Amino acid sequence: MRVIRACRELGIRAVAVYSDVDRDALHVRLADEAYPIGPASPRESYLATGKLIEVARRAKCDAVHPGYGFLSENAEFADAVRDAGLVFVGPPGDVQRKLGEKTQARRLARDAGVPVAEGTLEPLRDLDHARREAERIGYPVMLKAAGGGGGKGMRAVASVGELDAAWRLASGEAAGAFGSSALFVEKLIEKARHIEMQILADAHGGIVWLGERDCSIQRRHQKLIEESPAPSVDEALRERLGDAAVRIARAAGYQNAGTVEFLVDARGEFSFLEVNTRLQVEHPVTELVSSLDLVALQLRIAAGEPLPFAPKDVRRRGAAIEFRVTAEDVRRGFIPATGRIALLREPAGPGVRVDSGLFEGLTVTSDYDPLLMKLIAYGADRTEALARARRAVRETIVAGLPTSLAFHSYVLGEPDFIAGRYDTGYVAAHWPPRTPATLDESAITAAALVAVLATRGRATRRPVASPDGSWARAGREEALR
Amino acid sequence: MIYEVSVGDRRLRVDLAGDGRFLIDDAVVAAETTETVRGRQWSVRISGRSHEVTVLTTGPLRLLVDGHETEASALDERAAAAARGASSLRGGHHELRAPMPGLLKTVHVAEGDLVESGAPLMTLEAMKMENELLAPARGRVVRLAVVAGTKVEGGAMLAVLEEAE
Repeated sequence: MRVIRACRELGIRAVAVYSDVDRDALHVRLADEAYPIGPASPRESYLATGKLIEVARRAKCDAVHPGYGFLSENAEFADAVRDAGLVFVGPPGDVQRKLGEKTQARRLARDAGVPVAEGTLEPLRDLDHARREAERIGYPVMLKAAGGGGGKGMRAVASVGELDAAWRLASGEAAGAFGSSALFVEKLIEKARHIEMQILADAHGGIVWLGERDCSIQRRHQKLIEESPAPSVDEALRERLGDAAVRIARAAGYQNAGTVEFLVDARGEFSFLEVNTRLQVEHPVTELVSSLDLVALQLRIAAGEPLPFAPKDVRRRGAAIEFRVTAEDVRRGFIPATGRIALLREPAGPGVRVDSGLFEGLTVTSDYDPLLMKLIAYGADRTEALARARRAVRETIVAGLPTSLAFHSYVLGEPDFIAGRYDTGYVAAHWPPRTPATLDESAITAAALVAVLATRGRATRRPVASPDGSWARAGREEALR
Repeated sequence: MIYEVSVGDRRLRVDLAGDGRFLIDDAVVAAETTETVRGRQWSVRISGRSHEVTVLTTGPLRLLVDGHETEASALDERAAAAARGASSLRGGHHELRAPMPGLLKTVHVAEGDLVESGAPLMTLEAMKMENELLAPARGRVVRLAVVAGTKVEGGAMLAVLEEAE
């Protein structure tokens, strides 16, 4: 959807692909052309390189944008696109390979003079090797997949007793996600903030950093809330992070949009984590603060154009914050939920942006990622952005299945978050809330009445022909349950 | 009809009088309701206060009240009495259900196996993570309802464990 929007604004014909379960999806309906590529299973559709390139060829495409899931960080796919005579919108395969293998990326960062967390610079040979290295750097440690990042194949290990199980689970996940079970170990930095720097690089050696995002509010190493500027980052640290990101990009021969991720500890010392060689889910935050269209810039860079501005011309104004609305039951440990969207109201108004593929009647399955909608608020400063976010979350309705909106609603009223005091331990420390928000008497009365009306309605509803067609509507509503 | 209602941790008695009036805990409430989306959403005005109440999910009933989520339930008196009388399941018999939808990667046990409390029974892959489902008690696996490689829905029955001494 995001890519189709940029294409349309630039007058570029947008061709979409879809798996069988996505036939009704919004991106299929809004694209200029859309082609089926197979069943729901990603391996047979969205990850099937051959089918994708075949569609691109037949539809006479010039370029392929990989989005931010599936094949967006797959070097072989980037190579295959190039070999088919098409332009890949993203860094070339060899650049992705340099940064995709995480221990190699750690070596590259170190050689570029960027601090990396203490740990191994090569994949571990076996569990025994892991035990020795963990002993050497001292617990707690992180066991991480070497084949890829994004929070997959990753376990925190507090003591040697947990290492065995963590090794088993992390290597299993890594093998499933990246086709390689290789792991490495690094020192776990406690009370750290996850800060990442957005960069853009053209094919002519031009590299700029656009600004940082704080993505510390996570569960299962997956981000829930991202904001820019980071409340804890001052101008001096921002410059240092930007400079480090540019040095890594230069060393890797980077091209197109990318994100360099860092951990910043309680004293403001940072260490390199990894590079995401793609557009990220949270890119709108940077777009709002920098007044740039990152997808349009990706397309222009891919077309061989130089960056249309110099590093000194990058302006950052105001504050932006993104809330990921996911299909998850936040009261039961953020477990994924499925269901049909029975009622939807997306927020609007000043300073609110919604990136969403939702519509009433959509069936949310467990086939793909649980992300439903991104709600982004922008303001002249953080206080205004938060006020708008609070207002927008309250306006939003996604009925039919549990979502993360309840979590966001709580966080927006939580003093530590409002003060910008948070790190990657925030969710564990604050959720579930010890004192749930209470409704006032009038609201409790309203809820009680609706509880009765809704319950009674379900028990007694019968098809009754009526002049306003509410019978048919009742039938539809019933089907949506 | 009289209903026993809960909203969060509050308990209320709602009387839906035949003339369209509401009584809450025996007091008449001046409330006016409109069903804005059939079966899903109501606009409620109480002494000028405007509330929007949306049914988020029906099982269990969760309501969105002016942007705040809350759990709720309403049982008519007969159903409430029946619920109080219902006996709980016999002990010692555990049904292992999928806590979330996902792919069942590995089944670590076979029917008839005796397992210790906390022993991994299966590995469920969901949300980019592998999750080990552990035995809730020491017992014998009397039934395995799934094989490895199956995609399961949340709540799907996976196995039955009979508690052992």
